This record gives sequence, structure tokens and C-alpha cells, in this order.
Amino acid sequence: MKKVLIANRGEIALRVIRACREMGVATVAVYSDVDRGALHVLHADEAYRLGPAPASESYLRGDLILEIARRAGADAVHPGYGFLSENAEFAEACVAAGVTFIGPPASAMRVLGSKTKARQAADAAGMPRVPGSVTGLADVAEAMRVAAGIGYPVMLKAAAGGGGKGMRAVSRAEDLAAAFTAASSEAERSFGSGEVYLEKLIERPRHIEIQLMADEHGGCVYLGERECSVQRRHQKVIEEAPSGVVGEELRRRMGEAAVRLALSAGYVNAGTVEFLVDAEENFYFLEMNTRLQVEHPVTEMVTGLDLVQMQLRVAMGEALPLTQNDVRLRGHAIECRIYAEDPDNHFFPSPGLITRLIQPSGPGIREDYAVYEGWNVPLDYDPMLSKLVAFAETREKAIDRMLRALDEYVIGGIKTNIGLFRRILMDADFRAARIDTGYLERLLADEASGVAERVPKDVVAVAAALFAASARRETVRVVDAAEESRWAVAGRREGLRL
Amino acid sequence: MGRCGAAGGFEALTVWLEVEGEKRRVDLPNEVARGGVMECVIDGRSITVDGRFLQAGVLSLLVAGRQYRCVLDGGSVVIDGGRFGFEVEDPRSLQGRRGAGAGTAGPRPVKSPMPGRVVRVLVEVGQEVEEGQAVVVIEAMKMQNELKSPKAGRVARVVVGVGDAVGSGDVLVVVE
Repeated sequence: MKKVLIANRGEIALRVIRACREMGVATVAVYSDVDRGALHVLHADEAYRLGPAPASESYLRGDLILEIARRAGADAVHPGYGFLSENAEFAEACVAAGVTFIGPPASAMRVLGSKTKARQAADAAGMPRVPGSVTGLADVAEAMRVAAGIGYPVMLKAAAGGGGKGMRAVSRAEDLAAAFTAASSEAERSFGSGEVYLEKLIERPRHIEIQLMADEHGGCVYLGERECSVQRRHQKVIEEAPSGVVGEELRRRMGEAAVRLALSAGYVNAGTVEFLVDAEENFYFLEMNTRLQVEHPVTEMVTGLDLVQMQLRVAMGEALPLTQNDVRLRGHAIECRIYAEDPDNHFFPSPGLITRLIQPSGPGIREDYAVYEGWNVPLDYDPMLSKLVAFAETREKAIDRMLRALDEYVIGGIKTNIGLFRRILMDADFRAARIDTGYLERLLADEASGVAERVPKDVVAVAAALFAASARRETVRVVDAAEESRWAVAGRREGLRL
Repeated sequence: MGRCGAAGGFEALTVWLEVEGEKRRVDLPNEVARGGVMECVIDGRSITVDGRFLQAGVLSLLVAGRQYRCVLDGGSVVIDGGRFGFEVEDPRSLQGRRGAGAGTAGPRPVKSPMPGRVVRVLVEVGQEVEEGQAVVVIEAMKMQNELKSPKAGRVARVVVGVGDAVGSGDVLVVVE
């Protein structure tokens, strides 16, 4: 493998480029019209235009991407996450074009990528899973039958889904019909398939997932778990490794179950098996993500491994460099997903020009990002700007380190959720690891839980006044009284002209 | 902001501010742009500060030995990870306070809170709507957001169509 095309954008494209560079592999970036000045383009050896901003005309155009791979002489494609990363047709097209797809074979993707098929595979592999329908529901009547059988509350989910789209929680039978229609049409819009299934809603579950890495020679290891329970509208906000509640024994049971599932489907490369874990430490198979995850850095920190470099080596046909006994977890890592959104205004997206960027650094801080001062964050893609990761010996120290880093961090010009993290990381329940997938929504609903400010009001007033005064000095020289009256006269004349 | 003779008799700059909802008056010595140790008067109370501009919009403020890194971001200042909104009031301005006297009577616009694309228009001109009823769906950054009518009434104007790109603050629909 001499040259890799990265079929993605943003921080993950940059992450892959960095791994390639360290391995002496040349990189090819692709970009849409609004991404010509994006950081992933700046870091690549070669870069080629895909098309207009909408993903359907650029980053989802597998045909164009393979044409560029051929033209540039790339011998492999890394799909990142999102976009084409879980598209089995694209993986097949890569193979047909003689280009290595850095990910699982299309056959394994088909079995494990569809949620309904994955549930059948999970049953065959003897994995515990949440009670519910194994296949897509034909209509509302079937949904009613299944729901009545397992009992309310239930959760409707899109078969081809992810990221919370096409999901609806239903607590009463009379609400099921409307929720079914809404979930199905949302799934149709988001994924091109309206197939929906239904399962029992587990009360206050934790979201815990197992990272896997498998080679072509039957080797497969689990690299510990990540806890991703801090979510808003089913989108992960904070991830950490290890989980505050998973002990040696539970980790082994979950890890071995995940490995069994992967091997049963002939899985190769990086993958993640997601579980719900209830208060009694029962774990239920949720789904498998057949790609590298956004939150892979926390696993890298605690295992000391470079997952992207491992992906490349596995794709080259190499055997895994380690066995399960070699996997050691050390310390604790936390990741904050920094989004361009406004926590004070319904979390509306906040794309636009970044006018100020002061990034944190120092011991134990890692940041995977693709923004810079002067970058115009496009409105066409995911609002994630950066993944800030803190690593320390213990969970408590990692939280304090993250708080320190967040205090250093300033992003100006657009709204971000940086302030929200301070509130979460100082919350007693979070610090005690008393979290579940409903935790963040409850915290946000509790208006009294805001963080007390440490800055005296007089300091704020003086700082604001100094900025106001210096801004005025830069544009208008201070003038004497006579001149000031001329300014006033001119101003009134201006006013009259309007 | 204006000029006035402060109590001590020296020439000073006065800045009227609203910081996080509180009205403040800050008198600064005239040479603020150079920075350095200066005597400021906040609402009549004197305070000595040492301010140094490190670059445009970045200020290191020393107050009784305590250091604050202050970063200007539009209408807010970020200090020690906290973000504080402020507004400079110009006493010479003849404009009334924003929002004063604007009641719920009369036409009210539905404005886009962010840049995005219109994916659905849910109402038409002449249609009666309830307060809080969704009128337009805007998509930005893969998220669809329903924008709701600010009042009950009749749709007077629909300014946008499906597929239109809109900017932050653009009027989408007017309800009267």
C-alpha cells in the first residue's frame, strides 16, 4: 500500500492522513466546493475536487471517488466514518476497481450493518439482546402485536439507521400508530429505507460499546469498552474509556460475545459492538458499527494502540500484532465532542466564520480537529468541530484535566457547546459515574443546575469597557470638544439623509 | 461611550454597559489603548487594574495580583472559560431601546435562527395558525429544525420556498 485516498472530510480525514504520513504512505484528499480551504486538503499530498457542497453530489459520489483513485493511482480507499463507510455497494465497487477498501468485506457489512440482519446474527451467536422484532415491521398492525407481546414502553428504530434518526420511544399503545408513521418516514428521508423494527425500552440503560479489531487470518481481539451514555437526542456528547462501572469480569463477557459475533460473520478490520447495560449489569446487543468510530481516540489512549495504523496494516493482509492477552488497559480517557451549535437556543446549528481560535494543550491533552482561525464552517455537513480528549491515571484526574483544557479553549465567531461540558463535568452525578442515556436530558431540564461563575462582575465590566474603548480608538481618534460637535453635526446630517 | 470630566478632575472615557443584564458605568483613564496600570471607576467605586492587550481582542487583566485572560468574541467576553454577554450603550444615540414597546399585536415575523436550507414550508398565505405551530422546516448541518409561529393568527406572507438558502435572521414567514 503506497497511496491511500481518504473518502471523507473534517477531523477524521485529517486523522487518517496523519496515520498514513507516519507510515510513509502517500495521501489523496477529495473535497467539495465549500471544502477547498478545509484543513484535510491542506495536509494531504494530493487533492482533487469532487463536486458541489451537498454530500449527495460530493462525498457520497462513490463513482467519482473511484475515478479519482484511478487517476491518482491510489491503491486503497479509507472511508472514515459516515458518508460511504458502511455502504456495501461502495466496498464492492472498490474491490471491482482493484482498490483496497480499508474496512470490512461487503459480505460482513451486509450481515452486521443492517440492524435487523445483525439481530439475527446476534441470536445465532448466542448474544443476549433486547426483546423485540427481529425483522422489519410490515405495518402498524404488526407493530401493535409485537409491542403487546413484549409490553410497553417500547422503542421504534430504523433498520438502516444510526445517529438517532428514525427512533421513537412509545409508552402507550394509543401512541404507537402515529410514532410508527413518523419513525418510518424519517427513516425513509434519512436512509432511503423506511424499514422500522421495535424492541422493549430498557429503563435508564447505559450505552457501552466494545472496540474490535480483526485480521484476515481469523485473529480478532477486543480492545476494551467505551462508555457513551452522555447523549442528547441519541447523539453522543461525551465518551470515555474505560467505563466507570465495567469490571474485569463484565468486560471479558462483553468482549468475548462481541468477538463471537464478528467471527461468525467473517468480519475483518475495525468494528464496534454496541450494548445497552442495565443497573443489574445485564448487557443487551444493540447494533454493530462496521467502521471506525468517532470516539476511537479514547480507546487509543488507554490501550496505547493506533487504531488507524492497525486498520491499514490489516487491510494490507498483515496479521494482528497482538493477542487478547497482550491487550492492557491503562489510565482513563474522556472525549468531548465540540459541536457548532447553540446550547442557549435549542442547540440550533451555528455554522459560519471562526474569528478566534485558542486551543488547549499541555499534559494529557489530545485534540482531533479540522478547524482553524478564519475557517468558514459549512452548513452542509455534521456540526462537529473537534474532539477534545483528556487522558490521566484515573477518571477523576481525567475529568479535572478536561475542565482545565476547556477553560483554556476559546472558539469565537460561532456558537459552540464548550460551556455545556463544564456544567456536565462539574455535576456530582457525572463525577460519580451515575449516568445513563437519559442523564444529559435530565441535567438540561434542571435549570437550577447551572455552574456558578468564578469571575467577579467588576472584572467582567472592566474587561468589556476596555474592549469597547479600544475598539472605538481604533476607528475614531479621540477628538476635542469642538471637533466632537462637528462629528455630531455630521452624524445628524447622515441621519437626515436616511 | 462619551467623554466627560470625571470626579478627580482629569479627562476620562466613560463607557456605559449592560453586562449580563445589569447596567454598569465604567470610567477609564484616557490612555487605555496603551494599556498598563490604570485607575478605573465602576459605578462610583474606584479599582486599580493592569490591562495589557496581547493582540487584538485578547487582554490580560491583573486585578490585585489575580490574572484574567479576557478574549473578545463579538458581543461577549470570555474569561476563564466563562462567557459573558455585554452591550455598549451610547447615550448620544437617539434610537430607543431595542424591543421596547414591541408587543404581540401586529404582524410578527418568523426568522431563521441560523443559516440553512428550507426543506419544507408547512403553511400558505391566508392560513390560520396557532401559537407554537410549526411553519417552516430548516435544515443545517444534517439537523432538521422546525420553526414555530410566535403567535396565533393568519399567515400574511410566505417569503421563502423549498430549497432556498437562508441566512441567520432572514424573515421566512409573517404572521399577523
